[in-house]
Amino acid sequence: MARTQATGRPVPPPRPFVLWPLYIFLGTATVLGISHHLNIDIQALLWGLGDISEYIGRFGTPELSNFPRVASLMAETLAMAVWGTALAVIIAVILAPLAARNLSPNPILYRTAREALNALRALPDLLFASIFVAALGLGPLPGVLAIGLHSAGFLGKVLAEILERVDVGTYEAMRSVGANFAQIVMWAGWPSALQEAVGYTIFLIDRNVRVAAILGLVGAGGIGMELTVAFRLFQYDRAAGLILVLLIVILSIDYISDWARRLVR
Amino acid sequence: MKIVSFRRWPTSNGLPPRAMVLIGTAVIFVLTLSYPLLDINFSTLIHAPARLVWFLGNFFTSPDWEWLGHLAVKLAETVEMALLGTLVAAVISLPLGFLGARNASPHPFISHMVRACLSSVRAFPEMMWALVFVAAVGLGALPGVAAIALVTVGFLGKFLAESLEAVPNSVLEGVIAHGARPMQVRAFALLPHAWPDFVSVLFVVFEHNVRAATVLGLVGAGGIGYDMTMAMRLFQFDRLVLIILAIWLVVTILDRLSDALRRRII
Repeated sequence: MARTQATGRPVPPPRPFVLWPLYIFLGTATVLGISHHLNIDIQALLWGLGDISEYIGRFGTPELSNFPRVASLMAETLAMAVWGTALAVIIAVILAPLAARNLSPNPILYRTAREALNALRALPDLLFASIFVAALGLGPLPGVLAIGLHSAGFLGKVLAEILERVDVGTYEAMRSVGANFAQIVMWAGWPSALQEAVGYTIFLIDRNVRVAAILGLVGAGGIGMELTVAFRLFQYDRAAGLILVLLIVILSIDYISDWARRLVR
Repeated sequence: MKIVSFRRWPTSNGLPPRAMVLIGTAVIFVLTLSYPLLDINFSTLIHAPARLVWFLGNFFTSPDWEWLGHLAVKLAETVEMALLGTLVAAVISLPLGFLGARNASPHPFISHMVRACLSSVRAFPEMMWALVFVAAVGLGALPGVAAIALVTVGFLGKFLAESLEAVPNSVLEGVIAHGARPMQVRAFALLPHAWPDFVSVLFVVFEHNVRAATVLGLVGAGGIGYDMTMAMRLFQFDRLVLIILAIWLVVTILDRLSDALRRRII
């Protein structure tokens, strides 16, 4: 080790470059630049904090006088989420083996399935919902279809990745006894992937309940419609009641799905 | 303990495993039970495919290319909203993550409180918060950014708290053995260990936020969503085609980009 002549102490290694100031500068510049571009007045925001707290205070008295109606809307929301997830599972189970690189029977099919899943995932669920509402009319059916298609993209990609991660030997063993594509998927692919797949499906139900709650915004059924109306008419008490019910349901489903996922892990 | 296990499939007698039969029955039970709630009658379902094909046929028009300039501005605005929301949320969630992690929090009570706040913020989707904020501060990008930032704080804070709790004790002991004070343990043992995961999840969150930002305009919270609803309401399919293609393109490009970046960082 190099020692300086005068003191004989070891020379410490050179200080590493500290890039923090650069990152902080870049981050601040981005934030300020964007907020200038989007016409967001940070000063006005700080002045407005008092107004915002006053505004939140208006939600203080939740009104639950028409509870049966709220409950039935909430039930409809949950049903939309469950059926949407079921649709997503069906689509994903069909597309995922085709989109798994080590299983797919031919490269063109692989690319097509992969890009289809990507497109389903890329387009927001509210876009799907508004298209389906325009085509099929108001009601929960467009909501179910929108949830199903969008989350099929997510689930399909995850399932394909799980199938790709399965040990090579498992597929090899099936191929060596002459199994065709369908047999490999059925008896080697899904048995190895099921445990994880169920976990992700439970997670998906949890997520879809939240999505179903807002799809009513474009008229696709559920509690969202009622909520939008309450906000548009500035009926804070009613909105607070709806939000309260929604919060309780969503948090309890969050808790249940956490528990269920730990069960299958 | 594994309560529900699929490890024994294919079974020796060729029948599906019991766990699968049980879950399958439960799922079918729930589906049939909840079907009446959906209020879908049979004739709607029969006519749905034909109506859908008819409607989607409208999309085969020549796109309104003149409008492309406006579209580009709106798309840039959408991505900027997501970026701003994500950056602000990342900064806010750093201290909250430390307060929420059991091994970094000054008191267990504080960690419980912070976690409860984070999970209630996370309970609602961005759209719902946007609805609240638009009513509070008016139309524009600000309520959209605030909604995105709030939900993202909820997610990132919880994520950071969990990855801080996953830091092995040996790392902490190593730093403490050198005489580090509690704040130094947080800065030099906990943070460096959780940092790479935090940064890589930032990319995922950003991508999610771009997707969320594309629809926030529906309630007047800025971005492309407003034009999307207007085009949908007025049946301007020549614009709608462009919007859908543009959203698909931007999200896909960002997806690939963030994947590549994430792989370089890890």
